[in-house]
Amino acid sequence: MINESRRTFLKGAAFTVAGASLATGVFESVAEASKEGTAEFTNMPESLDFYPPLEKWDSFRELDGDDWKRGGIARKGVASQENPDGIQVHDYTIVPCVCSNCEAGCGLTAWVDKKTLTVRKYMGNPLHSASRGRNCAKGYAAESQMYDPDRIPFPIKRAPGSKRGEGKWVRIKWDDALKEIGRKMHNTLKTGDEMSRKLIMYHVGRPNENGFGHRVPHTMGLDGYDSHTNICSAGARQGSIQWANDDRNSPDWANADLIFLQSSHAADAGHYFQQSAGLIADARKRGAKMVVLDPRLSNSAGIADLWLPVWPGTETALYLYLANRILNEKDKNGDDLMDHEFVRNWLNWDRLMANREYLKFMVTKGYISRMPKDESYESFVEVMKELYAPYTQEYIVKECKLEGQEYKLDKLFEMFIDAGPKIATYIWRSGAIAHRGGWMITRSAFLPLALRGAMRGDIGGVSWHHWHKISIGGKGDAATVAGKKAPKVDVWNELAWPPEYPLSTYEMSFILPHLLMDEEWQNTWRARGLNVPTKLAVWIPRMYNPVWINPDGFRWIEALKDESKVEMSFNLSPTWSETNWYCDYVLPTGLAGERHDQQSEPSKPEQWTAFRQPVLRVALEKMGWKPKVEHRGTLEAHIKAGLGEIWEENEFWAELLCLHVDPDGSLGVRKYWESKKNPGKPVTVKEYYNAGFSLLPNLKKAAEAAYPHSEFPYYEFMRDRGAWTEKTNVYKPQEKELEFDGTYYRAHGHKYHADEVEKDRFGVLWITDHEGRKRSIGVEVDGKLCEGFHTPDKKLDLFCEWLIDWKWPEYALPIYPRNAREYDKMIHVVSQVHHRYMKGENEFALNTVFRLPYNIHTRSVNSKHLMEISQNHNPVWIHTSDAKRLDIKRGDAVKVRIVDTVSGLESGYFIAMAVPTEATMPGVLANSHHAGRWKLKNAVDIPGFEHALGVMGVGSPLYEMTMDGKVGTLKPKEGIDAIKNRPKSWQFKEFNKDLDNIWWDGLSGSWQNAVAPVHPDPIAGNHAWNQKVILEKADTDDQIGDIWVNYENNMKTFKAWRDRLCRPLNTKDTERRPYWMPRPAVPLSKKAYTFKVKDL
Amino acid sequence: MNDILTKQLARINLYALISRIMMKEVDEEFLEKFESDEMILSFFPNYQNWEKAKEISKKDLLEQFLNVDFTNLFVLHLIPYESFYRRDDQMLETGGANPVVQLYNEYDFRVQLDKARCVSPDHIGIELEFMYMLATSEYKALENDDYDAACQIAKIERDFLRDHLLQWAPMFLQNVKAETATPFYFDAASLTLEFVLSDYEYLNDLISDEGCRYTA
Repeated sequence: MINESRRTFLKGAAFTVAGASLATGVFESVAEASKEGTAEFTNMPESLDFYPPLEKWDSFRELDGDDWKRGGIARKGVASQENPDGIQVHDYTIVPCVCSNCEAGCGLTAWVDKKTLTVRKYMGNPLHSASRGRNCAKGYAAESQMYDPDRIPFPIKRAPGSKRGEGKWVRIKWDDALKEIGRKMHNTLKTGDEMSRKLIMYHVGRPNENGFGHRVPHTMGLDGYDSHTNICSAGARQGSIQWANDDRNSPDWANADLIFLQSSHAADAGHYFQQSAGLIADARKRGAKMVVLDPRLSNSAGIADLWLPVWPGTETALYLYLANRILNEKDKNGDDLMDHEFVRNWLNWDRLMANREYLKFMVTKGYISRMPKDESYESFVEVMKELYAPYTQEYIVKECKLEGQEYKLDKLFEMFIDAGPKIATYIWRSGAIAHRGGWMITRSAFLPLALRGAMRGDIGGVSWHHWHKISIGGKGDAATVAGKKAPKVDVWNELAWPPEYPLSTYEMSFILPHLLMDEEWQNTWRARGLNVPTKLAVWIPRMYNPVWINPDGFRWIEALKDESKVEMSFNLSPTWSETNWYCDYVLPTGLAGERHDQQSEPSKPEQWTAFRQPVLRVALEKMGWKPKVEHRGTLEAHIKAGLGEIWEENEFWAELLCLHVDPDGSLGVRKYWESKKNPGKPVTVKEYYNAGFSLLPNLKKAAEAAYPHSEFPYYEFMRDRGAWTEKTNVYKPQEKELEFDGTYYRAHGHKYHADEVEKDRFGVLWITDHEGRKRSIGVEVDGKLCEGFHTPDKKLDLFCEWLIDWKWPEYALPIYPRNAREYDKMIHVVSQVHHRYMKGENEFALNTVFRLPYNIHTRSVNSKHLMEISQNHNPVWIHTSDAKRLDIKRGDAVKVRIVDTVSGLESGYFIAMAVPTEATMPGVLANSHHAGRWKLKNAVDIPGFEHALGVMGVGSPLYEMTMDGKVGTLKPKEGIDAIKNRPKSWQFKEFNKDLDNIWWDGLSGSWQNAVAPVHPDPIAGNHAWNQKVILEKADTDDQIGDIWVNYENNMKTFKAWRDRLCRPLNTKDTERRPYWMPRPAVPLSKKAYTFKVKDL
Repeated sequence: MNDILTKQLARINLYALISRIMMKEVDEEFLEKFESDEMILSFFPNYQNWEKAKEISKKDLLEQFLNVDFTNLFVLHLIPYESFYRRDDQMLETGGANPVVQLYNEYDFRVQLDKARCVSPDHIGIELEFMYMLATSEYKALENDDYDAACQIAKIERDFLRDHLLQWAPMFLQNVKAETATPFYFDAASLTLEFVLSDYEYLNDLISDEGCRYTA
């Protein structure tokens, strides 16, 4: 038709409508603009570097981002008085800092506009050798967090006469808060008795720094540090501690030939993923293969060479299967697959073979059929072959639910062998924190790697974090009057480390409210002779939100509301949070670009450190501004720049402890926080970090060369660069030879006289420390004296001999039930969501432990950018076959009932949206626990302050809550899109013009954490996150976001896990914990470790 | 002479119409004009027979069909930019190095990309609107009996069609026809394709070495 009419176009197109009214009209004709002042800029950039060279950072001019779409300076010219329409030029001071939105510590630079004293953008830091100038979405979101319209602008205090949780607040000056808190802490500590050292608890969420936080309770002589770690990664850490007495492994991704991932954590969601993903991409570009074990088809699994959806918690079996094949098969040349040289030299097989008693125990347990003929290495290999032979392919296909995927196991093994020792892994979240016995997953994962020589810490393999991490954040002592570290603390706090969990990886912080409220437990141990606290005088969460993110949230609320259990609480928190609601004070502290922290992480085989800074303060000081009170520089700078009365922990603690908690020095605390340079005043951050960074020899040298005349050269060096790499290519430090000059041994920076040193039959060198403890300093390997690993025997501990003494002999070697009969015998390493517990057709394992990469921490709720991209991203994933069977369709509301497999009790339910998908395995639901934010008020009126303070107005819907001591409910009431009269009009207007565009209601998931009972692992102490659930269609009156919780049952479930699974300390025990297994935050003395109880 | 002007006006109208359709989603106002004009409708034979368009409200038609299709065609699945089709690396050239931008600059035309909601000025809608602008200028010159100027503009039009639009738009428009889910965009792509080819022939016939043959 048109073809025929082609010739008629021009005759026929006389529309009745005028053409001009149809055209969009995107052209404009512009007169030539002034080109004056353009010399500095070119119309086209000369290069596309993101970052100017370092020497330009103090003053860098850049055209406004709209430049390109306005046609560049050729058309509009550069803005000036004469040319107001020209392109704006920003005059920046670029200040380096460190992202604080996850644990990776990626470098950031804040681009501070000198005219407005605002940060116009956050970019990466090209000098940071691990993040290499790159960031994930969370890094760039730092700006939207900084200028969050609902930012808490000044310290607030629970209104006098109101109860915790009523939501009535008054404004308080920092000075008054310091006085009131200081007085309470002073009064608590001044009694000086043992109990006083247990009553103050500093509860730290993601620390994102290396040591400063530990120093706070340490200098007060407290056993009073609770980290969040046991809900986070303690299972993985336990497995690492058992192998190497090191907190975690450290992979060399970039040089590996096989990237071996359990879960999406390392590459697309969790620890160090932005840095790791880049290094993994480098490796894959080079030809490395990638394998992902995960019940869920994560982003990583989706692009992997091989995805193995293993039933959650059965990974141990798979790893032992790999071990079996490595031990019992040969390569194509008929040679062994084991790296005998490495295993013989660096695994502690000799101790196993020397322990005849244990070998007999293995025979009685059926681990092996007969005693080995001798103690030789060859006999050890035979023991291993027999021990792991039962983990056959046939067995694990059933155990891991891999029916029909057998070919993948062969492919996996082929890849594993082809990579030789160049296999990199990072065992961290997922399985290791999701299950009872998660620690055994880690322990077993390292076994095949060790057998192949991949645990040597060499190029492309797996090393240990200790060698790659720099911790000087707690080491600024030289700048203080004390001049040295505080002594070890003499008390043991049962609220942090109850006697049921002597081997717990970190503090049992997630059962703090349970312990506080379990008076029966307190009374029993008190009667047996322990001085168990029954309350806390002061509870101090730092950037932490346990009410929301810990399991059994209603129990937290109960405990926090009880003023007889928690006498005072204050949260050092940059944002509103569910926990703040139940605190006495909310003291606003800084985000990524608003605080000082030293941070270093083991993300590649080198030692890098980064320096987080309050960027507005640094920019102001570079412009000549000086604070009136030097030790309050950060607070003053933030007020000056209009950010609000936002402070930082470093200066806060120094002032609080020096001037308020111990004003006269009588408690012995003050001297650790008093400036050596200006006695009587708190130590300043410049003094403190200058002292800290001076401890790094290479940094020291570089800084002295760069700032020869400076008072604080090491501080200034890091202030201007934000990142430093102290050492690269850190490989195989265990092989470093021990220096011995005939008289003295030199090991780990210490000198030991030969007379002090004893060598045992396994070649380990021992000394006796000042407490009378035996400590090893090195080991003889193959005729050479080496520094060795961090374990007492200086080898990698295949055989954890100490587990025998600590009541768990059956797990001294990597082991897993070999048949159904052994499930009950080895219940401690069988997941609470094992498929044996799934009987009914609507019973599932709920996989909760995967991160939504942009929405992981409490503080991301105040970033509109992150919240926008995380909406509706947390449905319940259900396999299509299961959905079909249960007639569940995409978008259906489902009721997820949580049932415990130890107590048999039901916890309640949450209502969520189902999405049938083939990206989760049949029988396993997936629903991340990093969602479900809530609030009970949209805004808070502060008497005397003209504006209402909005509460989480970009990230959390409004809910209604009920709780009666036994049952708690939460019901969504109104989305954030419905907020009227948003208090947008007063704070950071320039940055929040787009609030009217909020289209999302904020309901990105249900608060499932509150429904979940605690599952403390009896050995590692971690919460085992995954849950057995019963899935039903929601009732008509159920709404997505609803939860109903029987938290009385949850308390019973806690007790069931504790009482049925633990092997508590008893009258025969004399120590609280193996002495060489350090307490992670505060060093404790032998006196503190000493344990004595009587039977009742 | 009136005939020349009428012809010219027809060209202007057609460029206005197709540039508008290719530039951004249509709206109710557009549809009203569009449907009230039998002449325009005659270029959209399939759309005229599309029952759906008659059954549902304009709002629903837009929200459920036309705008969805537009997004699919112009934002998500196809790349309506010349540089994508013509560069070996298939990258968009969004800056001043884009030859089309240089051409616009030469004739003092500036694109307001924010208004166009495009990332680069070599978008099909913008290139078609450029033709519309040129044709309008040519019309003004003809109205003022300035045949030399009009002819110069006609040459620019022909060169722009030859050197730019015809180098890639036919491929893009064929892709639209293959990918579209609505008769509206199928017809629009057919119309655009046929018209630019026809217009190129027209301009070549018009322009000779001696000047332009502005005759009826």
